[in-house]
Amino acid sequence: MSMLNKRKVYDITMQSLTYLSSIVSIVVLLAIVFFVFQKGYRLISWDLITHNYQSVTYTADLKEDQESGTFISTKTFDDGSFYSTKWGIAIKDDENLIGGTSVFITYVHPDSPLNALNNKGVGIEDLSVDVDYQIIRVAFDGASSALAIHGAEHMIEVWDSQDSFRELEFSTTGGGIRGSIITTLYLIVLTLIFALPIGVGAAIYLTEYAKNNRFTRFLRQMIETLTGIPSIIYGLMGLAVFVPLTIRLTDATGANIISGALTLTVILLPVIIRTTEESLKVVPDDYRYASLALGASQTQTTFKVVLPNATAGILTATLLAIGRIIGESAALVFAIGTAVKDDIRLTEKSTSLAVHIWSMMTDEPANIELSSTIALIILAIVLVLNISIKLLSKRMLRKQGVKK
Amino acid sequence: MQHVEIPVIKQHKEKRIKDRFVKIILLSFTLLSSSFIFIVAGTILVKGVTPFITNNNGLGSVSFIPFLTGDTWLIGESFHSNLYSIGFIIASTLMIALLSLVVSFPIGVLTALFIAKVAPKKLANILRTVIELLASIPSIIYGLFGAGIILNLVYNFSAAIGYQSKGGNSMLASILVLAIMTIPTITSISEVAIRSVDKNLEEGSLALGASKTQTHFKVVLFAAKSGIFTSAILGIGRALGEATAVSLVAGGRRSGYSFDLLDTTSTLTTIMLEGMKETIGLDYDIRFSVGIVLIVVIILTNIILNFVKRKVGNVNVK
Repeated sequence: MSMLNKRKVYDITMQSLTYLSSIVSIVVLLAIVFFVFQKGYRLISWDLITHNYQSVTYTADLKEDQESGTFISTKTFDDGSFYSTKWGIAIKDDENLIGGTSVFITYVHPDSPLNALNNKGVGIEDLSVDVDYQIIRVAFDGASSALAIHGAEHMIEVWDSQDSFRELEFSTTGGGIRGSIITTLYLIVLTLIFALPIGVGAAIYLTEYAKNNRFTRFLRQMIETLTGIPSIIYGLMGLAVFVPLTIRLTDATGANIISGALTLTVILLPVIIRTTEESLKVVPDDYRYASLALGASQTQTTFKVVLPNATAGILTATLLAIGRIIGESAALVFAIGTAVKDDIRLTEKSTSLAVHIWSMMTDEPANIELSSTIALIILAIVLVLNISIKLLSKRMLRKQGVKK
Repeated sequence: MQHVEIPVIKQHKEKRIKDRFVKIILLSFTLLSSSFIFIVAGTILVKGVTPFITNNNGLGSVSFIPFLTGDTWLIGESFHSNLYSIGFIIASTLMIALLSLVVSFPIGVLTALFIAKVAPKKLANILRTVIELLASIPSIIYGLFGAGIILNLVYNFSAAIGYQSKGGNSMLASILVLAIMTIPTITSISEVAIRSVDKNLEEGSLALGASKTQTHFKVVLFAAKSGIFTSAILGIGRALGEATAVSLVAGGRRSGYSFDLLDTTSTLTTIMLEGMKETIGLDYDIRFSVGIVLIVVIILTNIILNFVKRKVGNVNVK
């Protein structure tokens, strides 16, 4: 009796251990999703995706043909917004990114003279103000300057009392991730252009053409070995090989998007080759024999009969590759740099979304909010990719099942 | 008859030439793909050896033995030194990887057992999806989670036991982040191993009067140990090679051997990421030397674990 009891205790303890472990996995996933969502959802907006990351400060004055007038607005403003009928602009005090208060534009009348400003500094000549821009200072000829530290109400009061102003200092909205999104898209397109033909081609060779001999096994082994290398090592390789290569071939002067894409290509080749090979292997040999028996050449058989039957597999490989490109960070830190950019050129440094997070988290102070927002976007994309891959492979299995 | 055959032969010949051409192109793609491993290894090796055999623009060559055993990492260009040594970093890297495995291995294997044998089908499917999702989360997000949540936990914990940690940046935080990251790897591979255990073994055990739980732990896990061991090897590989996530919670230790769980630390990967701004001279080349050490550490760990695996795997389960 006591032995049975002992056994029962053992059973229950061990079983509850397996339960506990499984709960840990679920809790971790939920905690990550919850954390990223809770920290990041507030910043999710269309503006985030379309805006620049760096905010730029301009000093501007009115163009010569512009002057103040009467701009009646039918819009109702929320509490704290002050509207100037003379200039057609509404501003309010609000908290800025570093926790202080600044004067933000909440509305600009479509006919307002402030839509056509003249840049007094360097850079583009024509400027205009827009919602969410910060106004730092308005300087007048006949009155003392209105500064942001005195608040929006004071600024509007002074501004309304004047018929002209000498200069207006304002800064555009920052904190957007347009640049990193564009870089990520560039990386996806470029990497796929490099990696898909090579990877699919190599997979075709290995399954359709190569004889099963020592040399083929050696080639396979070498490709397989690539998967075990940590991505930071690929980053070093990209820095030492692809960055100098692109500097020589293009007008790049340092790490750039092309060198990043080439590095990612090397990382992705084994994944693409393996996935494509698997999908080629399940195409029934009968198809090949039938095609060859009808007089088609091996090339025709491969590209017109076998390959079309493996499209689902190649698509899966593509989706896996996209997921990996979006998530990759360590290799890209070396291969395209860590400078967050707004003006994206293929031959210059910039950051993908994942590296953008790393860049912000290693800065002082770390920007956890925006990082989490980007993480939320990445998580959503990864989830969609995962579901698509699952559906694809289900379809593939069903197709095979029907054929058998 | 003759004028019919000739075009057929001609066409056939054309096809063969085309076949050959396509084959050569495809072969060149394959050769290119398999040559990258040599390009990677070659560049890391050549670049990584440079600091030891040149005088590094007047800084003097780095000496090899102190590099491997010393306890100070001085950034060369700013300190005008060639005093790079990573002994303390190798030690902390190994310690972090092993301890993270100590945390993730039991959790991962038991989760795998639960999915494969204990859970009802529906729950098993849900859990399998959870593991797949965890595996597909990019490492930088684990790092962000570590910096946002785990650092706080570690900070509060160390404050509670009267220890002033540097904002929670510590070995413990690195271990926890890596453990979380390696659980899905261990679980998914162990699960496959557990599921492929011969049903007869299980039934035999049950028939001898063992309970289900006893069978799971004493027969199934034992029979699947080769696959389970493989999962551990892959898990530790991932832990050793992970860079960005750890760099957000390690704290960046520059000198001194430290095995204190709550003190800041560095790993081979985080030291490579540190101060990426300078990309010329010794500071740049030395990263490749660290890269060589990282690869050697990974290969050695693999060899040792594979050796152990062969030792334990040779016990005849039947």
